[in-house]
Amino acid sequence: MAPDPAMPAQIVCTGLGKTFGGGTEAVQALDLTLAAGQTTALVGPSGCGKSTLLRMIAGLEEPSFGTVTIGGAPPSETLRHAGLSVAFQDPSLLPWRSVRGNIELALRLARRPVDVAAVEALIALVGLDGFGDTKPAELSGGMRQRAAIARALATKPGLLLLDEPFGAVDELTRQQLAQDLPRIWEAQRTTTVLVTHSVSEAVLLSDRVIVLSPRPAQIVADIDIPLPRPRSPDMVRSDAGAGHIDAVFAALSESRAGSPPPMAAQ
Amino acid sequence: MTVTTAPARPAILQKPVSFAPWISTAILLALWELAGRQLSGTFVLASPSEVLRYLAEEWRMMARALAVTLGNAALGFVFGNLAAIALATLASVWPRTERVVAGLALLVFCLPLVATGPILRVLFGPGDGPQIVLAALAVYYTTLIPLLVGLRAAPATWFDLVRSYGRGRVSALVHVRAMAALPYLFTGLQIAAPAAFLGAMVGEFTGAERGMGVLTVRAIRALDVEMTWALATVATGVAILAYAVIGALARRVLKAPPPVILAAPAPAGARSSALQTGAIVTVLALLAWWGAIRVFDLNPFFAKGPGDVFAALILADDAAETRATLAGALGETLVFLLPGYIAGLLAGAGLAMLLVLMPILAGTAMPLAIALRSVPIVTTAPLVVLLLGRGATGTIVLVAVMVFFPTFVACLHGLRQAPGQIMDVLDSYAAGPVTRLIRVRIPAMLPAFFAAARMAVPASVLAVTVVEWLATGAGVGSLMALSASLSDYDMLWSAVVLVSALSALGYAAVGAVERRILTLYAPEQVA
Ligand SMILES: Nc1ncnc2c1ncn2[C@@H]1O[C@H](COP(=O)(O)OP(=O)(O)O)[C@@H](O)[C@H]1O
Ligand SMILES: [Mg+2]
Repeated sequence: MAPDPAMPAQIVCTGLGKTFGGGTEAVQALDLTLAAGQTTALVGPSGCGKSTLLRMIAGLEEPSFGTVTIGGAPPSETLRHAGLSVAFQDPSLLPWRSVRGNIELALRLARRPVDVAAVEALIALVGLDGFGDTKPAELSGGMRQRAAIARALATKPGLLLLDEPFGAVDELTRQQLAQDLPRIWEAQRTTTVLVTHSVSEAVLLSDRVIVLSPRPAQIVADIDIPLPRPRSPDMVRSDAGAGHIDAVFAALSESRAGSPPPMAAQ
Repeated sequence: MTVTTAPARPAILQKPVSFAPWISTAILLALWELAGRQLSGTFVLASPSEVLRYLAEEWRMMARALAVTLGNAALGFVFGNLAAIALATLASVWPRTERVVAGLALLVFCLPLVATGPILRVLFGPGDGPQIVLAALAVYYTTLIPLLVGLRAAPATWFDLVRSYGRGRVSALVHVRAMAALPYLFTGLQIAAPAAFLGAMVGEFTGAERGMGVLTVRAIRALDVEMTWALATVATGVAILAYAVIGALARRVLKAPPPVILAAPAPAGARSSALQTGAIVTVLALLAWWGAIRVFDLNPFFAKGPGDVFAALILADDAAETRATLAGALGETLVFLLPGYIAGLLAGAGLAMLLVLMPILAGTAMPLAIALRSVPIVTTAPLVVLLLGRGATGTIVLVAVMVFFPTFVACLHGLRQAPGQIMDVLDSYAAGPVTRLIRVRIPAMLPAFFAAARMAVPASVLAVTVVEWLATGAGVGSLMALSASLSDYDMLWSAVVLVSALSALGYAAVGAVERRILTLYAPEQVA
């Protein structure tokens, strides 16, 4: 029997490494276990290998070393059942399809029924009410990213991989999304991996923040964020939240300062 | 490396400037009328008014011929493009085959129509078969090449998206590649429409009973100047109309043009893999040739296989003589071909650069040149020969004209694709137009120039052989026609093999020059 594609699953990376053809080492000897249903943020300097790590978890990039498993099976198994969604760093909307058309295409590719009302609800959720028939070229960068998030959510995946999904989204919408999205992935108990450059966003959205070193990516800090949910930006600004933010910042600047002893490498 | 060109869409999507083409057409007509009046009585040039009068008198005959040729051209257009779409789809679903598919397609495209025409005539007998096949042969390659580029013209993340939902190459083809390739398909179809008409006409030259090509041959033989010019005018009008109709259709269909990524047309692989591809293509072509004769059980009197040609060129008693005849004819042809080819390339690139320095002129010249590129130049071959005599000048001019238009359009397009940001930076240094031309625009133009130069190789071979056949009676074109009429099929097939191989080699040689020059002057353009 096929596993339920919507089931959240534990992700285990063991000795994971990626060296590109040109000799670029993007990720090195990375061991990481992400609990089912948790949200994990990956932060680190740009170019350190975050996207590469995400793509290896998604099964889109073959690891050079080590393995990734999702619920004990290789990612290809999850892919086969369309059990994950990726919101790519570049929104990658098909320009000849409207916002609605792009979302519906994801459902068709994943062999899920197209529920018109659910698609409309998603469009509204990401604040694109009234833009369902609009082509990507007529949307702002932030709106395109939101459409890509809606598309990623549409298939109700057990694993959601978000690569800097809010980069071009304006501050107010970002805060709104940061409130709404966790509700969805809590309700669906989605395992979520979020790449972000914003430390406060990482703290606001995730249960755990992994700080990565400059290339090749290794884990420099692994910080739990035990703030209760639902969270609000005010909570992040509170003393407890600020403490977490400071911890992440400290780890980040330490990692940037150069050759830190990678603590999770052993 | 790929070049993202969001604003620079294929030429097809740029709205034509509304008045410019009409103005330039009017000027052209006025000049033509003037020249016609000056030269009246010299049996060289008929003026537009004389052409009109002729058409008014003979429109029934013209309409009947046109209907026949259009019908054959349309069938050839459909079959040729279906073949192109099938081949391109195969290559994109099964990428390993791409180089071999493209190589075989090139070889077939290099077959000299002047010789394939008579061979097909023997195969099909009387009727429309050869015309339709030649029309299909004339179009499939011009559609295949842009389509191969277009099917790859999508960012990698669109394919990742499809894969991330667990779907494979077929879904990628249906949901991503097909749509991304649509503008390229239309670009190809637009060039193919007039080419199909030309192919059908060349097919009719080979002894059909009805059609525009038959009338053309009759007009030339009779030295009927008005009829020749009237036929060329109708052919030109049909070609421009076909071009315009497909352009209009493209603008309707492609309401929201996808942002296009122009990938380098062919992966610039190592030389060994190019040689390997060449070897595979040669072997497959020989097998297909040999197999076709077996499968269709063709009469060995005219259907010569690879072994027969090898025997005729190497083993037979008169092999040395055959080789000498062929070499002599090829030599004669090259004397016309090379100067015309080079002159056409230089004139095309030169005029394009000149126009970039004078943008006002470009607005008028571009639409006209795009339209004229689609003219089946070869149908005007008899006229050029009438005008310039049967000597070298006429043939060289014709080859140059055949090469000029596509080169000019491609270069102008390339020159305009100079990346905007770099131009802005140069602006901020107050760099003059000449500096910008040399530093930015010419490097940006080079890939388009070389693409045109490659395609111009088979085109110029077609032009030169048709002129030799119809008018000058010299060179390999005439040799092929003569061999066909004398039923010297060993000679005919040998000539076909040599001409195709040399065309394909010329095409490959331009590609080699391209890689050398691009690595020197525009390394970022080399994949
Ligand atoms: N397909 C690839 N081929 C070669 N190098 C790559 C490829 N993809 C990424 N890289 C390199 O790997 C490193 C990490 O890239 P990436 O994972 O995109 O970083 P991040 O997402 O953290 O900014 C960079 O140096 C990048 O240039
Ligand atoms: Mg990244």
